[in-house]
Amino acid sequence: MKKYKDELIKSMKYLSKDERTIFLGQSVKFSGNAIFSTLKDISDKKKIELPVFEDVQMGLSTGLALQGFIPITCYPRFDFLILAMNQLVNHLDKIRYMSFNEFKPRVIIRTSIGSKKPLNGGVQHTQNYTKIFKDILREVEVVNLVNPNTIFKEYKKALKRKDSKSTLLIENGDFYN
Amino acid sequence: MLKINKNILIKFENEIKELYENGKIRAPIHLSGNNEDQLIKVFKKIKSQDWVISTWRSHYHALLHGIPYSWLKKKILLGRSMGINSKKYKFYSSSIVGGGLSIGVGIGLALKKKKIKNKVWIFIGDMTFETGQFDECYKFAKNFNLPVKFIVEDNGLSTNTPTKSTWKKLRKIPKDIIYYKYKRKFPHHGTGNWILF
Repeated sequence: MKKYKDELIKSMKYLSKDERTIFLGQSVKFSGNAIFSTLKDISDKKKIELPVFEDVQMGLSTGLALQGFIPITCYPRFDFLILAMNQLVNHLDKIRYMSFNEFKPRVIIRTSIGSKKPLNGGVQHTQNYTKIFKDILREVEVVNLVNPNTIFKEYKKALKRKDSKSTLLIENGDFYN
Repeated sequence: MLKINKNILIKFENEIKELYENGKIRAPIHLSGNNEDQLIKVFKKIKSQDWVISTWRSHYHALLHGIPYSWLKKKILLGRSMGINSKKYKFYSSSIVGGGLSIGVGIGLALKKKKIKNKVWIFIGDMTFETGQFDECYKFAKNFNLPVKFIVEDNGLSTNTPTKSTWKKLRKIPKDIIYYKYKRKFPHHGTGNWILF
């Protein structure tokens, strides 16, 4: 069995080699969460450290994608991604319909279900909202990364998919270690 | 290409009004009016390759940015008055309050990173101007010197609620944004006349 975190590091390296990609979010350049540890081998030139403004972050990501970038927009915990629901559900997820399929922004959204071991982050840091997001999103594909053997394949698909749709990839904090 | 002037703008909205009142449009419409002079002045600065981010009241913005009269009319007849969007004309509009702000700033960030000289012009209303979303976007765009310009169209109302009554006091207007006041000619949506579908 491949190691979960190693597969994430490999996937991020792979994504970073595409000149269109850019990594953004909180703690992409500075330590502070588990996702950071998977980006440590990537040049800071490919990263934008953002303030904590989750909904604006999702809008920025959509805007970057409309102008040719492929943003990998990182939300360290699923609980925080909820704060970006307006831009995710009302905009990124609806923009194809709204534009008669003219706008096709490809955004790769990373989030993680907070770990409960060895420390339990509590109810505001460890929730798994996968089902709710699958229900509410009609264009953005939702993928829960449970099996490490599928991680690289799923990130590669998110980068290369011919329909250029956006993908939400949900990682599991407890599998990192 | 049709040269858009004040008379054409007014004529367009009157045509849409008539179509709506005759039951030809089965979706809300948001008509513009009384701000033709201000917008014509603003759009003199906007280049065809610039991005325009608009709101649910976008007909004038669309026409002034070069979207063809017939194309726009067709989309409105399809029920898309609230969300006119075109990749070709670099035009995005959202019917969510403040919805276009961060997308516009993201486009501005991309333009700067790619060293493309065009700008993003983001139109918002007076209620959006008072929100936290605007604060965040304005601060980010200004501090990183992004090629983004904000235009506040102040008709004093959010739907039918006086904006000032909800905040008690309104914010100061920064010098680096374009701001104008006008009195709404049409209701928030529709034409003011009862329509039987």
